[in-house]
Amino acid sequence: MKIVILYGTETGNAEMLAEDIGDALDADHEVTCTNLSDFPVGEFDAETLYLVVCSTYGDGELPASAQPFAEVLKAGATSLAGVHFAIFGLGDSEYEETFNFGSKRLAELLTQHGAVQLGERATHDASGVDLAEDLALPWATEAVALAESRFGKAA
Amino acid sequence: MTHKIAIVGAGPSGCYLAQALLKARADLGVDLIDVLPVPYGLVRYGVAADHQGSKAVTRQFARIFERQGARFFGNVHVGRDVTRDELRSAYDVVVFATGLAADRRLGIANDAAPGVVGAGAITRALNGHPDAGPLPDLGARPLIVGNGNVAVDIVRLLGKLPDELTGSDLGPEQTRWLAESGIEAITVLGRSPAAQAKFDPVMIKELGKLAGVAITVDNAGTADDEHGQKLLDALAAIDGDGTAARTIRFVFSHVPLAVETQGGRVTGLRCRTVQGDEIVVGCTSIVTAIGFEDIGDLPRADILAQADSAAPVYAAGWFRRGPRGTIPDNRADAQVLAADILADLDGVSAGPERPGGTLFEGPRDVVDYPGWLRIERRELAGADAARCRVKICDRAAMIEAACHAEETSS
Ligand SMILES: Cc1cc2nc3c(=O)[nH]c(=O)nc-3n(C[C@H](O)[C@H](O)[C@H](O)COP(=O)(O)OP(=O)(O)OC[C@H]3O[C@@H](n4cnc5c(N)ncnc54)[C@H](O)[C@@H]3O)c2cc1C
Ligand SMILES: Cc1cc2nc3c(=O)[nH]c(=O)nc-3n(C[C@H](O)[C@H](O)[C@H](O)COP(=O)(O)O)c2cc1C
Repeated sequence: MKIVILYGTETGNAEMLAEDIGDALDADHEVTCTNLSDFPVGEFDAETLYLVVCSTYGDGELPASAQPFAEVLKAGATSLAGVHFAIFGLGDSEYEETFNFGSKRLAELLTQHGAVQLGERATHDASGVDLAEDLALPWATEAVALAESRFGKAA
Repeated sequence: MTHKIAIVGAGPSGCYLAQALLKARADLGVDLIDVLPVPYGLVRYGVAADHQGSKAVTRQFARIFERQGARFFGNVHVGRDVTRDELRSAYDVVVFATGLAADRRLGIANDAAPGVVGAGAITRALNGHPDAGPLPDLGARPLIVGNGNVAVDIVRLLGKLPDELTGSDLGPEQTRWLAESGIEAITVLGRSPAAQAKFDPVMIKELGKLAGVAITVDNAGTADDEHGQKLLDALAAIDGDGTAARTIRFVFSHVPLAVETQGGRVTGLRCRTVQGDEIVVGCTSIVTAIGFEDIGDLPRADILAQADSAAPVYAAGWFRRGPRGTIPDNRADAQVLAADILADLDGVSAGPERPGGTLFEGPRDVVDYPGWLRIERRELAGADAARCRVKICDRAAMIEAACHAEETSS
């Protein structure tokens, strides 16, 4: 299956996690890893599974590298009908009122434009005990399984 | 042959630079050299003990050494243990990422009186930096001058109740110092209007969560831009917060004129208000959080001039830009600098093989990355329900743990 991992980050944690997920899926799939800041909204396609990894900044806002992407999406009438994605958030429960709002907002934005979310949004807590990859690898495996049943095994 | 690159300073800018260089060219020989026996600069010794989430970037930095092949040479003071010339002949490229660790002074009468302390000195002591002096006696009514995030870090830590520090890596001595501080009232004073303060609004909001303080905000004024308005909203949200006996008061638009003393002790800060009046804000100590400058052990102006020339010498991070910018800013900058260095390297045909890290061989105790891991393992072993780590704060003890500890093979 074609998988594009998109990450939104400020200090690089989401990028590292995106690479870890890529390494884990690489053997069985055609995987590329791209910063949301480098991903043109027009490039989404229906045959690809998008795994989105995104942190939170400010007061529950998107990280800097995801903001231009979100602005373009908000401004235009881009249709993401037929696009499938799963999303994983990085945050910190120290910011309890806006915990992982970045990934939440991004998921809402994608679905508002017609994309279909596969599975539940999963989140990491920088103040918690779990390592991000320990949560994200099972999440990714699950997302791939959901996509395979949608796309048909052959994809 | 591969190019050898020395990065002096293993703080965030040095680490992000190594990360970006090795991501682009895995074959480069990248060595990070630090005067401390431990890596990560201000992530370990600046970022507040109760902001462990921000310290988690060290997981990325660990990978530079564990997977990307960078090497760590700790406990090496460049400029003293090895000279800049020695470094330049041992490496193809030298990068200075040594930060700016000296507290900027107020530059007014009496600004070095006993009882005037720098924010850097206090945050180093709170973070268990091996070269930090003892934690000072701030008295019952400390005054913090400065309107940046470092000032907020200090207010927050001074204002926290002991159980609000659970999960931090604040050391036992520091914990006791805070618990027994006897502080009754903290004033935070800035020379500019509130809307121009450099506080991150999120950091101001965080103060609203403290259970042991009552907060007031004086003369916040108005804003004419979005950042200013966000900040005023955040300040308005904490104004009047809490009913505890210990108070935090924000004061804006007060220009410091002189430190007032009596019998050699600080008694207040003379200021000019916007109305042009001179008033004295009473206090028992003054903490200056108005920025940082170089400590002067390396000739910064010379190095920055070299970095602008064609020489294979570069500067990064706070040392290059000045004491502004957060960890993400260093990452963005390091990526640009890495691209510059790589472009310059392409133009240079590889010279004869240089000695690189063999320069540091000798009688001195040099802490390598496995040595740092031995220090870290010991620090983590001291963790309990209240603290995620117990730092080793003494340089000799660090070196002992890193270099001379009995190997417990696994
Ligand atoms: C108190 C404080 C709290 C902060 N909190 C935050 C925060 O919560 N979040 C955030 O994003 N940013 C924070 N910052 C800002 C952040 O720390 C800086 O942006 C960042 O550390 C700058 O990185 P640097 O690598 O340039 O310098 P540094 O982190 O200072 O690293 C410089 C390194 O060089 C080494 N060195 C110095 N001289 C020599 C020499 N002669 N030879 C060898 N090595 C040498 C030092 O030991 C040090 O390890 C804080 C800053 C301070 C001062
Ligand atoms: C200034 C600042 C603000 C933050 N705000 C939030 C927030 O509102 N909600 C949240 O869940 N996490 C917040 N975080 C935590 C980050 O999302 C978390 O540290 C994450 O691991 C960063 O990932 P990145 O390196 O990919 O950017 C904040 C962190 C910082 C430094």
